[in-house]
Amino acid sequence: MTGNPVTPVKEYRKPLPTMTRWSAPFWEGCKRGELLVQKCQDCQMLNFYPKLYCAECLSSNMEWVKVSGRGKVYSYMTVYAFQPTEFAEDLPYVVAIVELDEGVRMMSNIVSCHPDEVHCDMKVEVVFEKVTEEFTLAKFRPAERPEA
Amino acid sequence: MASFKGKVAVVGFGEVPTGKFPNRPCLASALESCRQAILDSGIDKNEIDTIMPTGTFYNRRYNTDMVFSKLVEELGLLGKAKSNMQVFAGGSSSSSMLKTATGLIHAGLAKTVLCVQSDKTGSAPVQEMIDLFATFGIPEEWETPYGFFMGGCGSLFATRYMSETGTTHEQIASVVVSMRKWAALNPNAMLRRELTLDEVMSSKTVATNLTTREGNVLADGGAAFIVTTAERAKDLRNPPVYPLGFGGRVCHYGISQDRDLTRLGFAEAAREAYEMAGITAKDVDIAEIYDGYPIFPLITLEGLGICRRGEAGSFVMEGNTWPGGKMPMTTNGGMLGQGHTAAGGGMAVFVEAIRQLMMKAGERQVKGAKIAVETSMGGTFMDSQVIVLGREIP
Repeated sequence: MTGNPVTPVKEYRKPLPTMTRWSAPFWEGCKRGELLVQKCQDCQMLNFYPKLYCAECLSSNMEWVKVSGRGKVYSYMTVYAFQPTEFAEDLPYVVAIVELDEGVRMMSNIVSCHPDEVHCDMKVEVVFEKVTEEFTLAKFRPAERPEA
Repeated sequence: MASFKGKVAVVGFGEVPTGKFPNRPCLASALESCRQAILDSGIDKNEIDTIMPTGTFYNRRYNTDMVFSKLVEELGLLGKAKSNMQVFAGGSSSSSMLKTATGLIHAGLAKTVLCVQSDKTGSAPVQEMIDLFATFGIPEEWETPYGFFMGGCGSLFATRYMSETGTTHEQIASVVVSMRKWAALNPNAMLRRELTLDEVMSSKTVATNLTTREGNVLADGGAAFIVTTAERAKDLRNPPVYPLGFGGRVCHYGISQDRDLTRLGFAEAAREAYEMAGITAKDVDIAEIYDGYPIFPLITLEGLGICRRGEAGSFVMEGNTWPGGKMPMTTNGGMLGQGHTAAGGGMAVFVEAIRQLMMKAGERQVKGAKIAVETSMGGTFMDSQVIVLGREIP
């Protein structure tokens, strides 16, 4: 796909994340092209999605760390019908639970491939999709160099 | 503290037909269910000292009426009832209500508890209900932006389960065939026509490994049951049904955070419940299993130890859970047959377990059923609740 500066950006009508003050650094990271998760400085637990307190030990002493953005598909669904109204023009689209190499799981979409190619345990890597000035979503595509 | 076993009993139940009844007020469903339960048990309604209405989704004002003691006033228990309290866990509310009622009665904090559910999700404005179930239980920040919705739950669970166990989509879909066979025998069910496996598989695809006929249909409904002391139950009309064991695990709020979508918490929950009841899976006569989507009875059958891992699909497809099968399952037809009345989906399965053990299930009565295992799940299948019920104390 080639960018065409003359084409106006279509207004984004799908639901945007409802950010909290403790999740804001995650979304700021996405804007910079970095996938961030919280690491508890007391118990070393990685927390995702972002928590106000570490879900393992309730410490507030957490710092943001950059993760690889590589992982695999734990499960997925290609949606063909009865989707939320705003996603009608995306049909069919792939919703997946991705398990990152670091162990945390996140929901996202699998993009840049035909839905029929997606399968459980498929290796994927993060790709950032700017949807509005405020939000860039972390999505996943098949890993470029799948390990043998 | 000595066990509650043999000290507490369910003594009556009521249920209105499930379906789309736009002219039947939700309050009428609640009151008719309560009235039936009171008459069924033979207890004097003035003995009810605790009213426990679970949550209603279709209308916030009606739900607030339930929280604010509307039923106490309607049932003429003003000045007599000690408490009106909402106990609510979505689809697993019936389990929470029985657990709470059992604990209160055993502790002497209540003597007779009326548990009731009513909802009208079938004839509420369609778009409102679609929006409600598209967003409820889905983390707004972490899942909604990617187009996930509650109706897709069956797909994400089924896909991983198939990948790990080798189960086929046909085997999963055969659960719908089983549910509809039972629903055909249930006068309170909404979907009473039997379906062939081909009809289930060839219906419109919603998402990967999920067809339209594998989805449940929203409906209006209501049900109630009465719990009291075993001592009081002796003089009442029905054979008492004893809660024998409880087990449960909450495994996620957001589905993406569950560690094992192919097992959930059923093995741990069942172990607890069986141990408390003093039984094993071999003692179970009837499995009243919560469905929602056909994948869940398979996961549950395995967690309960009724089937080995990966074998539940063929077990159901071979007809073992049908009427006349060796392990009758979800004999009201579940949400896939009776209909989905929000928290009432689990309530209907629970009431059916009581009905079977009281030998009042009519055409679908399982002869000689003495021990039932009953399950429920709430939200996006966030929890795995297991209850063992019996006509006798093992």
